[in-house]
Amino acid sequence: MPSSEKERRAKRRSRDPSPSRGQQGGCWDWSCPEMRRRLEELYFREQDYIRAGSEDSRQFWAFFGRLQRFQTLKAKGEPAVWAPPARADPSAAPGLAGLPREYDPCYRINLSVLSGDVEGLARGRRGGPRQGPGVPAEQRSQFRAALLHYLDFAQKQSFAKLAKLQRERAALPIAQYRDRLLRAVAQNQVVVVAGDTGCGKSTQVPQYLLAAGYSHVACTQPRRIACISLAKRVGFESLHQYGAEVGYQIRFESTRSPATKIVFLTEGLLLRQVQREPALPGYQVLIADEVHERHLHSDFLLGVLRRLLPARPDLKLVLMSATINIRLFAGYFGGAPVVQVPGRLFPITVVYQPIPQEEALAASGKPERLDPRPYLRVLQAIDHKYPPEERGDLLVFLSGVAEISAVLEVAQAYATHTQRWVVLPLHSTLSIAEQDKVFDMPPPGVRKCIVSTNIAETSVTIDGVRFVLDSGKVKELSYDPQAKLQRLQEFWISRASAEQRKGRAGRTGPGVCYRLYAESDYDAFAPYPVPEIQRVALDALVLQMKSMGLGDPRTFPFLEPPPQSSLETAVRYLREQGALDRAESLTPIGSLLAQLPVDVVIGKMLVLGALFGLAEPVLTMAAALSVQSPFLRPTRTNPDCATARRPLESPHGDPLTLLNTFNEWVQVKSERAGSSRKWCRLRGLEEHRLYEAANLRHQFQVLLRDHGLLEPVQGPRDSYARQSRHRERRELHRLRQRHEETGGRTRKVLRLQEGEAGSSSDEGASGTGPSGVDIQDVKFKLRHNVDELQAASGTALSSHQFALLKLVLCRGLYPQLAVPDQYNSCRKDSDQIFHTKNKQGIVLHPTCVFASSPELLQATEEKAEPGRSRGSQEGLSSRHQLLAFVSLLETNKPYLVNCLRAPALQALLLFSRALDTSADCTRLVADSWLELCVPDSGAALRLLSTALQLRAAWEGLLNRQLEGRRGEPGHRPDPREVATLRQGLLEFLQQKVQYSLRRLTALEKQNCYVGPQTVAAAPGLPGLFQGAEMTPDEEKGGYRVAEFLTYNCLASETDLYSDCLRSFWTCPHCALYMPFTPMERMSHESSCRPRPQEAPLEEAAESSAKATALQRPYHCDACERDFLFTSTEILRHRKQHQ
Amino acid sequence: MDSHKEAQPKGDFECQLCGLTAPYSYYGQKPPNTHSVVLLEESYVMKDPFIPDKDKFLILGSQCSLCNRRVCVGTECSLFYSKRFCLPCVNENLREFPLEIRQDLEKRKSHSKSHPSKKADART
Ligand SMILES: [Zn+2]
Ligand SMILES: [Zn+2]
Repeated sequence: MPSSEKERRAKRRSRDPSPSRGQQGGCWDWSCPEMRRRLEELYFREQDYIRAGSEDSRQFWAFFGRLQRFQTLKAKGEPAVWAPPARADPSAAPGLAGLPREYDPCYRINLSVLSGDVEGLARGRRGGPRQGPGVPAEQRSQFRAALLHYLDFAQKQSFAKLAKLQRERAALPIAQYRDRLLRAVAQNQVVVVAGDTGCGKSTQVPQYLLAAGYSHVACTQPRRIACISLAKRVGFESLHQYGAEVGYQIRFESTRSPATKIVFLTEGLLLRQVQREPALPGYQVLIADEVHERHLHSDFLLGVLRRLLPARPDLKLVLMSATINIRLFAGYFGGAPVVQVPGRLFPITVVYQPIPQEEALAASGKPERLDPRPYLRVLQAIDHKYPPEERGDLLVFLSGVAEISAVLEVAQAYATHTQRWVVLPLHSTLSIAEQDKVFDMPPPGVRKCIVSTNIAETSVTIDGVRFVLDSGKVKELSYDPQAKLQRLQEFWISRASAEQRKGRAGRTGPGVCYRLYAESDYDAFAPYPVPEIQRVALDALVLQMKSMGLGDPRTFPFLEPPPQSSLETAVRYLREQGALDRAESLTPIGSLLAQLPVDVVIGKMLVLGALFGLAEPVLTMAAALSVQSPFLRPTRTNPDCATARRPLESPHGDPLTLLNTFNEWVQVKSERAGSSRKWCRLRGLEEHRLYEAANLRHQFQVLLRDHGLLEPVQGPRDSYARQSRHRERRELHRLRQRHEETGGRTRKVLRLQEGEAGSSSDEGASGTGPSGVDIQDVKFKLRHNVDELQAASGTALSSHQFALLKLVLCRGLYPQLAVPDQYNSCRKDSDQIFHTKNKQGIVLHPTCVFASSPELLQATEEKAEPGRSRGSQEGLSSRHQLLAFVSLLETNKPYLVNCLRAPALQALLLFSRALDTSADCTRLVADSWLELCVPDSGAALRLLSTALQLRAAWEGLLNRQLEGRRGEPGHRPDPREVATLRQGLLEFLQQKVQYSLRRLTALEKQNCYVGPQTVAAAPGLPGLFQGAEMTPDEEKGGYRVAEFLTYNCLASETDLYSDCLRSFWTCPHCALYMPFTPMERMSHESSCRPRPQEAPLEEAAESSAKATALQRPYHCDACERDFLFTSTEILRHRKQHQ
Repeated sequence: MDSHKEAQPKGDFECQLCGLTAPYSYYGQKPPNTHSVVLLEESYVMKDPFIPDKDKFLILGSQCSLCNRRVCVGTECSLFYSKRFCLPCVNENLREFPLEIRQDLEKRKSHSKSHPSKKADART
């Protein structure tokens, strides 16, 4: 109760003398806090049913106030309830004989309270009744009577809830089918339950199965949020009060325990379980819910289960679906029986309002902007037709965020004018607090207008919607397997989606659905949406199939097979990425990647980072790249965000900006508890995504540890630290429990103008419990070892580590590379374009650091010497850069998302799958699309042969690391070799060689190679490339020197004979001076090269994996050495130099 | 010492009149962990599932003091007037009850006729 009201009431009471006051002659004031406190001391003690200061006691006093007023209203003269008659002992007389003749409401209460004085009396302890600090007997008995009434009232209230719950369950359409369903499940291995929105299948079927004696039930859901809410709901309905019989399990959270009888989990998670235990021995019944949504995981899961069923004849499978395409599912499982349940929707009137031809034409001049007028007309029509007292909100379905802002703008202007609407956007890139507003209530006489993407079609259910406005459009990612490109395109929705959208208007009462298309359009819609498996990249799927031993994905009996080309692209991609070998079997790295629930490139980074002791920053980046970007769209109203973000931006690229952001956030969290939310808000960051990244990071860390790629953590060593950590955790647990008891977020009443720019009121309100505790922060601290995280994120990387880190990222991302267009320096900042091997004319995503600072990518930083002739020297630089990117996204334009810059020559020499050279190696072609010309042939040869050695060493160490991860430390990579490789890579990166970089033209690509030659004999040059066998390349011509290197296969007029031409050369190692052909020179150099210098042992030992969790690699610039130090050790070390 | 023992389900309570079924964890007059509260009849009790506090209990029902039927505390099935009586028994012995109770029953009867049970909200 708001305190102001309390005060008003107290005043009123003191003005109007209540009967009880009258009787007492004014010496007792019920509203006086001191009087109340005295009573609480007597009756609400620590051991009592109601405790002083609790929520319960507040409710009691509110009840007490109501009771007093009720008594006042009651006819005067009647005996007040306050004074109960002396009780007859009810058990004294049997049957009706002992009924009190004189009626009193007190006789209707079936409980009693032994408290304070009474208890003392009853037990005869502590020397008889306590007098209490001045509470007269009459008030005591009045209070006691009120207390009994209150307890009785609370009992009635809870019992009414219980009865209502059971009534509702029985009234659900599915309840009628309970027995039929259970019979079908008993008699068949697979049963399909088909029922529409509101039939109750998701909540009831699991309970029916439990009640019928099944246990170990798993129910899969496409969405994490549904797992949580269903577990809550089912737990609530089944009144489970004896621990966790109903639980859920999602990516980062589990409430599962040995007592759990039913668990709600995501499809992806169940698939991971199949991967570990193919027969799923832990389950007796599997329920696959919402299979009609046809998510990738759902389709695949059905395929896996179909294979599993014959091996597990005791396993039951229940498929649950809307009444969409039921025959497909039943047929896939050999004609499984279908239990069809009618939905329960109120009637919905459909109004077709196609956009008039002339208006559509006028708008088509600017196809990128949606015309909001037809939408506004519907708002007006509703205002015109329905009086404001008739409640009911409007839900508008649009295809995307741009469309939402177009409609929002005019709708908000209209709302301001009429004062009859609160307009709110809803899409997944909004902050959680903004999303939650759609659940709040509008003030009386005002409707909510929620302008949403198709997120509100199935994922988010908003009560109180009476009107639906359907644009008929959806934007979906479609996948172009050739360009390996995700495209966000606008489509007409399917009839099934249109019906789903319509249904949202009829959940709580009859509704109206406005469709901005013609009925004939509707009839022409596809019946169902395109299943996800037919429109997304299948890399992860194929990888998972391989690791499950499901054989050739091309022949797997899918529910509906994906396009063959998508499968081929996925297989090819996995081979390129080194996850599959030539025979399409999993490589060691591939089998590890299959267990990481992330994109292949990100998984590769994790493995690569572990080798160089860069696990901590790589874990962070991999996690941050795997969740939605925490950077919210810059809003016009808040230009300060951009300024505040600037210090976080890295000139090297977005992954490093994410690293900075995460690290900074962790520091803020650990240093200034509770202020991280504000810190995020000022920078336009969605903190929730940082929490997700922290969770994912932890998961990666555990996975890497499980696979022996990271050392296990050691807990705090001294007992003091352990104890204080323990104490802290106990306090956090208490906070969380308090939060849960008070129920978390409650619905608020929206203000008019809510959602309008500038008025957003999420000033840290959501997620804050009544006590002002940031519950997300509490959960974060419970889940993570903050000290460890802080140590990991608090140390700055040395320049060497930084260079290696970029190299690791780049190797992970390879071959996702883009090259700047050669004319970029003449273009405006925003018009910079880039090319990948398969796709031309790509732009940078606006959030990319290089979009705002394109000069970072320019190679022509070296002062062009005046007077130096351009011409053949044009384009020469030692600073050409490539962009490695995480993904390619096409909306209205193709965008590079999450870019990192890398030195072009070094990256290509180290990572290209195919490197082709001319005879003198001054011309190199990488992966048949990028040409590098290094005029200094000596330098070219030197770089090439270094790259060859580095690649061999790196590959060897990586393989040893992956093979040795099964626990035997003897198989671990030799730390000395790792240190040598580190050193070699760093030196390689520092090479400054002038070269040019360009894409080959289509014609050049065609005539790139000399082709097979008639001279078949390999040149007799033993020792070239360290004894690599040289075989003539049958396709390109020239000689294969290594898997990735083909020597002298490039067609060119000038170097036809160059491989025979000898020139004088001095070997830098043995000072031999004589004429060599380029190949002889390479051969000599590689055989003459001294053994790679061994890194000093000390350093080697330091970089071995003995690091404790708090140690971080540290490079001291003063003594130019790398160490593994804790934060305090770093300080100590620094002091030495002062 | 841990005084808060987790209640174990003892079985299902089922009202013999309306069929309401719920698991109960205690039968008697002194539910565990409720200290100062005692019940005036032997009752079937569960932890109140609607209140997070685990010491709050909910009385489901008890036996009719006349016919020994197990009945829930719902007003459609029974009433308490110093003892528990199922409604069939009350109706048989209406005269034995005070006027207030008879009026109350009469009111309830006409009320439930004019207001059929409310609609339940839909869920998938
Ligand atoms: Zn009953
Ligand atoms: Zn009876």
